[in-house]
Amino acid sequence: MADIGKVRIRIPSSIKPGEVVQVRTLVIHPMERIERDREGRIIPKTYNYINKVIVTYLGKTIVTFDTTQSVSENPFFSFAFKATDPGPLRVEFLDTTGGRYEGAVDITFA
Amino acid sequence: MRRLSALPSLALGALVLGCAVMARQTPEDAGMLTWTSRALPEARGDFRVLPDGRREAIRYKGWPTRDFSAFRTYDYDDPRPEPVVERVTMPAGLKGDPTKGRALFLDRAKGPCSGCHLVPGADVWPAGNVGPDLSTLGDRGLPDPYLYQLVWDPRVVFPDTAMPPWGRNGVFTSEEIAHLLAYLQTLRGPLPPETDPDRSPFTRKKPVGFGDNLDPTNNPAVLLAEDAQALWEQKGPAGRACADCHPGGPERAMRSVATRYPKHVRIYGRVMSLEDFLEAHGPETTGRPYPAESADNLTMTMRIKMASNGLAVALDTSSPEARAAIARGRATFYRKVGARNHSCADCHTSDKGAKKFLGGRLLADVSDGLTRHFPTWRTDRGEVWDLRKRFQWCMTPLGTNMLAADAVEYAELELYLTTFDRGKPLNVPGIRH
Repeated sequence: MADIGKVRIRIPSSIKPGEVVQVRTLVIHPMERIERDREGRIIPKTYNYINKVIVTYLGKTIVTFDTTQSVSENPFFSFAFKATDPGPLRVEFLDTTGGRYEGAVDITFA
Repeated sequence: MRRLSALPSLALGALVLGCAVMARQTPEDAGMLTWTSRALPEARGDFRVLPDGRREAIRYKGWPTRDFSAFRTYDYDDPRPEPVVERVTMPAGLKGDPTKGRALFLDRAKGPCSGCHLVPGADVWPAGNVGPDLSTLGDRGLPDPYLYQLVWDPRVVFPDTAMPPWGRNGVFTSEEIAHLLAYLQTLRGPLPPETDPDRSPFTRKKPVGFGDNLDPTNNPAVLLAEDAQALWEQKGPAGRACADCHPGGPERAMRSVATRYPKHVRIYGRVMSLEDFLEAHGPETTGRPYPAESADNLTMTMRIKMASNGLAVALDTSSPEARAAIARGRATFYRKVGARNHSCADCHTSDKGAKKFLGGRLLADVSDGLTRHFPTWRTDRGEVWDLRKRFQWCMTPLGTNMLAADAVEYAELELYLTTFDRGKPLNVPGIRH
């Protein structure tokens, strides 16, 4: 329906310096999975799912997720981090076909 | 092709209007009495004939394709009355097997009876409580011929029942009913204590929602609706875009529009939901097709409705056209259809099944207003569904052929259902299981 790779990131509306912040993020992605036949051979078809998520904050990678084909369609990830300084929080989604989808929010202190 | 002239009141209204505008006959006037479905092929309720001569329904991918044309539908042109009540005597010498009966009781391809009636056993999952708890039915010492009649056609005893006439409409045979009775007569107390409160629909927790439906990280439909922004501004084959006539972007141009739908649209001579109107108005102005159930139609409908989020539903319920249509929609709501001889009311009114469990599903109550969150994201399907597709999905377990998604019968039913949402805020897209 929609284009692959739309990313949405949500953070709390007000953040204090040093606070542990819960982040919610979602990417629109079809999740086409690997299937095997009766003999266990991979059925040749294009599979396509998110297999890596990289989160960077202030230019440094703060967490990566390695995901397998059990990751859902339009996967949703939630994680927490400590907001020490104002700056960009970037989330990158990588899929098995080489696709790279990115979203970013600015962390600012109220 | 649907002829609305089968509706006496609407035909009369059209006739009166026809006289008033006789002097200048426009194409709109000429087209008033007919509506050709513009829905996607799989959403039209059409059939194909297989090489072996069987008729198979053309349906959405993965949906059942069985043909139920032997049974009554919601079609206004379907003149068949509700099947007459059938009094039967239990054939003599019929002997049932309780083990077979239990298997039939739980068979999802048949009832399942356990969808409405609780019986003992950890494998009875999930049981509903629309009908009475049958866990100790055997203790009541009811005679077999009486129970046989109840399963065959319960309307003999309970004229207003929601239970289908299983034998009368050919879902269970005489032998199968004998097996069921043999099983039911073995059900005796005292019952062992329940170990799992979720097994029994009487103690099961009611499902909770899915969180904030307008949070794009929670409801993918919100992101899908964003596609409408590009559609809104793109010029169609006719050289025009929505934005050319409706300036200010959908948020401003379409503010409060959705609160007035479904409504009677004079130039098309019928009640239309936003989806129906878009299907006709979109191509006429921009040249771009918006067939019912297409991604473009759903996306644009969501976007337009979102421009009214938080505003109260404000239907026209007083014009003669609206009043007549609401009356027909109400009649549809109470019309018994299909192999199951069910009406919408059987499951969705508080004196019948509403707020009770049908299997594991909690049935919604029509009086709460069930329309203002459509189109909605369905978590178990991973798809956006409008109310019409939800109607069509309801038709499947009823054992009746679905109508086209843009059928006037559905539009007037939707109008009737929307009257219960009046004064309540729109909240689109919803998120539901």
